[in-house]
Amino acid sequence: MWEIGAIGAIPPGQGVVDGSQIPYTPAALAKKQANFTKRRTDDPEAKCYMPGVPRANYMPYPFQIVQSPQGILFVYEFASANRLVNMGKPVEAGSDTWMGTNNGHWEGETLVVDVTGLNGLAWLDRAGDFMSDQAHVVERYTRIDPYHLNYEATIEDSKTFTRPWKITMPLYRRVEKNAQLLDFKCVEFAEELLYGQYKKK
Amino acid sequence: MRCTFLSLAAFALMAWSAGAQTGGSDYKPPKTPWGDPDLQGIWPGNMGVPMQRSKNLGDRTTLTDEEYAQRVAQAQKAAAADNEERAPKDARVGIGPPSYWTERGTPTRQASLIIDPPDGRIPPLTPDAQKRRKEARGGLGDPAEWAGRADTYEDLNLYYRCITRGVTGSIIPVVYNNGNQILQAPGYVVIRNEMIHEARVIPLDSRPHLSTSIHEYMGDSRGHWDGNTLVIETTNYTDKTSIGSNGVGYNGEGGKHTQALRTVERLTRVDDRTIDYEVTVDDPQTWTKPWTMRIELKRDSKYQFLEYACHEGNYAMKDILSGARADEAAKAPR
Repeated sequence: MWEIGAIGAIPPGQGVVDGSQIPYTPAALAKKQANFTKRRTDDPEAKCYMPGVPRANYMPYPFQIVQSPQGILFVYEFASANRLVNMGKPVEAGSDTWMGTNNGHWEGETLVVDVTGLNGLAWLDRAGDFMSDQAHVVERYTRIDPYHLNYEATIEDSKTFTRPWKITMPLYRRVEKNAQLLDFKCVEFAEELLYGQYKKK
Repeated sequence: MRCTFLSLAAFALMAWSAGAQTGGSDYKPPKTPWGDPDLQGIWPGNMGVPMQRSKNLGDRTTLTDEEYAQRVAQAQKAAAADNEERAPKDARVGIGPPSYWTERGTPTRQASLIIDPPDGRIPPLTPDAQKRRKEARGGLGDPAEWAGRADTYEDLNLYYRCITRGVTGSIIPVVYNNGNQILQAPGYVVIRNEMIHEARVIPLDSRPHLSTSIHEYMGDSRGHWDGNTLVIETTNYTDKTSIGSNGVGYNGEGGKHTQALRTVERLTRVDDRTIDYEVTVDDPQTWTKPWTMRIELKRDSKYQFLEYACHEGNYAMKDILSGARADEAAKAPR
């Protein structure tokens, strides 16, 4: 047990995976289980690393979507991560990154974002679920009323999963009159975990 | 106080307009589909203009032909060194990146980034600020330019720690990853900075600032249009960042400000590929008067704005701390 009291608890949920189970290969399932055991120190969220896609969208921190003629920018409060979705001619991924190479287009009322070039270091949640650098994520954002988006992400990664699988969830709009993103520079929260052992005793 | 500050800023702007501005005053910037002046695109900073002016230049804002030729020659010499394929055999082993990683910029005639006060120098510190500088960390000073102590990660500055470079530190041009990208949407301007990575979302709807009890590294920004100029007023700063390259100060001085800091940025597109960026720094608890920097930002549609995963790849922090411990162990009496 960790000595951080109930602050360290994670509220229960019914899951967002279509069909409930993530179709891991046997080797990947073993890695997921090892991740779970070491999650206090190994979860990239604990280390304040950029959360990757799709995890950035369902962390307990807000994000803002800015629809500009230059592309659609997702600005996340956590770790100041952000990603610009290219809405022009699709570009190929360059070097692998945490937040991926994002190409978007409209299908009717739905924004479809094709994400490649992910570095495989991000996790999908605090339970150690993960994907590899071969992952291809296709996100679908549909506004279902003024205050909600329906969010879907299909994950394809033959190195980790036996078939593509999908998560589905609503995204809730912040409706406070004064809603705005605030600074959340989480590095300071992670330094003792990452560097404490190298301090002068 | 406020009146003096405004008139100084206005004077600085006039002084510059009378100088070597490109594009001419009849330039009309394009408009966004909803009618705002269009500042969008990638506008990397250009390394090479010193923050403070050499004292021998006095009140001159631009270099003479001879001084400019010297600056160009220096840049060419540096570029030639960068192109050498390998280090000479007798070169000392360094721990920094190879020199070809760094950008040298394109020399310009601008004498210094600081355009006000007219001598291009940072105004004197207030007596309070002098006292704070002296007493910081029990006399060691603020960890601006790292002075070698590495007992803990907190001995290193916010840049080494990959926390943030702050508002001005994210725009002052440095040795690499100088990407700045401006995006606009109705009611918003976003300024993205490449290194460490920031995306500052600036509302234009004149909503009030955050409560004065809330302080942020990147401050709380509000924007409005003054003709074709985007004016961004930022308050609610922490007292942890500094004004200068990478947000860690300038040569010989930490540049650290207090929570009373207020910055006013003015962005004016003066021709198709140039934004005149000016920022006035006003912290009456630190400097005896406000001061203003001017940075010329050039649009570069070919610039690749990359993901700068600073903290995620911060091997330097572990290496600096563990190196210091190894050094202590080697020096300990046996």
